[in-house]
Amino acid sequence: MTSTPDPATARPSSPANSFYAISDDDEGEYDTITATTSRRGVKLLYSKSKVYIHPTPSAKDNIPGYIALLQQKPSPSSRPSSSSSSKEGRERASANLLLAWLPESSLGDALNTYVKVDLCEGDSPPKQSFLVPPPPTTTTHSSSISIGHYAFAIPLSGIYSLLVRPPSLGWWFGSVIINTRAGDSFPALFFHDSECQSTILQKKKRTRENFDPFGANGEMFWGGDEVLRWLRRYVTIERSGAEPNIYLVEPSPEDKEAFGNPVTSTALNRRPSSSGVTVGGAAGAASSSRSPNSRDAGMDPVTKFVKEAGWNLMEKFSKVTTFTRRTADSVIDNPKVPPQVRRLLRNPEVQTLQDEFDSARIYLARWAMGIAEQSERDKERRIWTARDVLEMEETGVGEFELLDTEIGGLSMAEKRKTVTLKEWSTYFDPRTGRLQVTPDEVKERIFHGGLDADDGVRKEAWLFLLGVYSWDSSAEERKEDVARLRDEYVKLKGAWWERLVDLGGEGDEGEWWREQRGRIEKDVHRTDRTIPLFAGEDTPHPDPNSPFADVGTNVHLEQMKDMLLTYNEYNRDLGYVQGMSDLLAPIYAVMQDDAIAFWGFQHFMDRMERNFLRDQSGMRKQLVQLDHLVQLMDPKLYMHLQKADSTNFFFFFRMLLVWYKREFQWLDILHLWEVLWTDYLSSGFHLFVALAILEKHRDVIMTHLQHFDEVLKYVNELSCTVDLESTLIRAEALFRRFQRTVEAIDKKSNFPAPKLRQRKLGSAIAAAAARSISPTNPSSSGTETVVSASTSGADTSASNDIPVTVNGGAQNKGKQNDTTGNKDGQKSEELEEQAPKIVSPELRELLSRKVEILPRKIVRKEGEGLAKVKKDGK
Amino acid sequence: MAGTRNYDFLIKLLLIGDSGVGKSCCLLRFSEDSFTPSFITTIGIDFKIRTIELDGKRVKLQIWDTAGQERFRTITTAYYRGAMGILLVYDVTDERSFNNIRTWFSNVEQHATEGVNKILIGNKCDWEDKRVVSTERGQQLADELGIPFMEVSAKSNINVEKAFYSLAADIKKRIIDTAKIDHSAPTGVDVGGQGNAGGSKCC
Repeated sequence: MTSTPDPATARPSSPANSFYAISDDDEGEYDTITATTSRRGVKLLYSKSKVYIHPTPSAKDNIPGYIALLQQKPSPSSRPSSSSSSKEGRERASANLLLAWLPESSLGDALNTYVKVDLCEGDSPPKQSFLVPPPPTTTTHSSSISIGHYAFAIPLSGIYSLLVRPPSLGWWFGSVIINTRAGDSFPALFFHDSECQSTILQKKKRTRENFDPFGANGEMFWGGDEVLRWLRRYVTIERSGAEPNIYLVEPSPEDKEAFGNPVTSTALNRRPSSSGVTVGGAAGAASSSRSPNSRDAGMDPVTKFVKEAGWNLMEKFSKVTTFTRRTADSVIDNPKVPPQVRRLLRNPEVQTLQDEFDSARIYLARWAMGIAEQSERDKERRIWTARDVLEMEETGVGEFELLDTEIGGLSMAEKRKTVTLKEWSTYFDPRTGRLQVTPDEVKERIFHGGLDADDGVRKEAWLFLLGVYSWDSSAEERKEDVARLRDEYVKLKGAWWERLVDLGGEGDEGEWWREQRGRIEKDVHRTDRTIPLFAGEDTPHPDPNSPFADVGTNVHLEQMKDMLLTYNEYNRDLGYVQGMSDLLAPIYAVMQDDAIAFWGFQHFMDRMERNFLRDQSGMRKQLVQLDHLVQLMDPKLYMHLQKADSTNFFFFFRMLLVWYKREFQWLDILHLWEVLWTDYLSSGFHLFVALAILEKHRDVIMTHLQHFDEVLKYVNELSCTVDLESTLIRAEALFRRFQRTVEAIDKKSNFPAPKLRQRKLGSAIAAAAARSISPTNPSSSGTETVVSASTSGADTSASNDIPVTVNGGAQNKGKQNDTTGNKDGQKSEELEEQAPKIVSPELRELLSRKVEILPRKIVRKEGEGLAKVKKDGK
Repeated sequence: MAGTRNYDFLIKLLLIGDSGVGKSCCLLRFSEDSFTPSFITTIGIDFKIRTIELDGKRVKLQIWDTAGQERFRTITTAYYRGAMGILLVYDVTDERSFNNIRTWFSNVEQHATEGVNKILIGNKCDWEDKRVVSTERGQQLADELGIPFMEVSAKSNINVEKAFYSLAADIKKRIIDTAKIDHSAPTGVDVGGQGNAGGSKCC
């Protein structure tokens, strides 16, 4: 028995071969798993993070872990229990390799090793041999329950098949279920790809290398692909012809034949022992729990299985039941439903579970959204255009239309092509370095296309967008500017450096500085640490008294700290506020030059400063704008949000505060911000992005979310699931519609209002809006806002405009009685005709491209900077 | 079979305290039993849910996590009102965060529902060599404020569970056990929450 690979296996001859052979000779370096004593460790070949088990319907119970391929030293005594007649050498290999899932919490000191191996690039296992403690090994799921906490490791020889489901439902997670040769299944492993750093990196890499946005590309890469790839290095994996989601591991000829047949209605039950394929892992678990060696013999097997299967099962049911208990009842009587499912549905425990599931609207909502996105994507296989995106969406704003006049001569694809460094340089006179096109032309290109992520064009272009460079400068002038700015940065930095020599000095001022330093340091150490630039902790901390002295730091974190402290020196009114580090990090990462990044940040802060005031006036204003915008553009949704006590729009607080920094992946943020910086359509375009996100999810919100906490949770959890490109397209369309609506209202208010046909909707909204304004609603801050809304579809002609009066103030002028139950709308119609039809000033501002910069005295009053400390101290 | 009842009571809790004391980490430990050292700062508000069992009743805890920096207080105090229990968290390695507890406390007095249960939590108690606030001082402050006290470590999983359970038990005692019928616990459950959640969800 040799441990070198059997050529008959699918293992390719690659560096992995020699790796295997060499390391196998390292006697004693790693150990077999079967032994319970004197373990040294097993070799970690591959690992992938953020693979979850969802033990219950609720995401709170999700357990994050690592899926890993481990290699143990061959043990002469250990034999796989496989009955298949594959070659012995291959069997040996597959018996010594373990596919494991381990919860993050169980890894302890080994966590670092798992992280390292996860992030190893390249297709083969790391050259270096990483040893980790051997996980508990098993060949069945039922026996692994005793080990607790779901952790398991199964020899590849013990795996019969894998049920692989790619993340086909929008941003729903892809999953893998392991069906064992012993006949049962492990709980589904869900790949939260959006959290998994290695998958994100691999995805980006693939996109860069292969993805042709205009070609007929297809495949979506996900974490499960990786696992299959690992396994294929060592064992034969065959995809079942009958059941394309089933991958057979070292299949016997009989298996191949059985699974090669076309699908029939009973195909799923072909192999009873691995019937996990029937309803996810569910039925598989059920059959195992009925087996005599079931561990929970006392428990009703069905109940037990339901408890174990939890979310997996319900996920399956949800497809059948369209998510509600109500319909579930009819499903029970549906003859098409397999008898075992029908039986399950009648089980009281299932009903409980289903009820819980039913109440977890957020998750339902997600699920529904996933399906909607899938159908959208399916229809989108052809060349992807804005029109495709928009055509799919029927929103409360009516159907979107794209005006050809807006598109101009360019096709959408051409218009949205990324601006490369090469294109960028053509904008400038090669001799003087002056812009030879208009700034608006440049902005338009960036607004629609964004800047190339790799060729360094951002380094230059961002300085224009941020205002560090003026658009009419020459190359020579810019050079001078940079030199001057560098000097200035050094000076500013020197000022607080000196102060900190004596730990910040005496009195209130010293206290303030120390506090600021502590705060900034803490935050810098938890800002974008997943980005390689900020990840390292290899540099010893310069200050042994720092709370991070033990952890270590890296030069970029230190630079971030310095820049934020320097900003305090520059802007003596504001003081550091959480969120500012989020705003600085991308600029620094793109510039990688602290002085230049500092000035970029300084300009960015000019417009963002209002978000960070103590009285939150700037944030409140934007939330009010969003409130008015939704009222105007989608009154139906607005009404629902009102019923759900959500018109404070607090659930957009985070998004607006740091410009979606927490909602999109890093590279998307760079793109989004440069788009927003152009102020091409509106300096408040970020609010249209908010509206676009809201519109995308409006049906789900209206169908499933009834309370503020549900809305908040749902929106918070949209983080990193929103597709940027289509959101931007939608936001632009929404802006155009907004613009036309305002124009229509303005035009109309110059003429006597025509007699209008009243729509029920309009009156209901007006009434509801008048009736209830939540006390926590920032918009009810005293000023009465009257908004006239057009809710018509594409047709914006005056005769079709439905005026909607929205009273945002406290006095309701007797409209209180005019409830949503008012069907004829007569009363509100009269009221509306009397009410002045104007667009609130807050809304009108959104038509402006001018960036609002706060007067210093407001910042001085509502900030908590050095100037304030000095003043108060005196 | 207990029918379709998912939980018997809903209790809303709120975590407050200076930024960086580990509020989110405590919450993560309690709700997901995990710990991430390099955490991100909390912006705005969020909550997590965990259902626990108390005296044979299923109690659903909805725990709100807030941004700690004082500058966001206008936002965060809006959530005081709905809370039935408040965890005031400081960091035993950070004197300032301890000193600020008084400010947080008076904020609670000012904005929260009267009689709301509170508990003082000293986090990071595993970090002995960096400790600057002794257990005695913590206890002393708690006594002075008249609230229970516990030192915890989200990182080493010390007492986190206990702290949440004990607060929940106190609340249950105050609100639920003193009321005779199930749905007589309307206190504070209405803010941004499921309107009927304070009572039981009947089958």
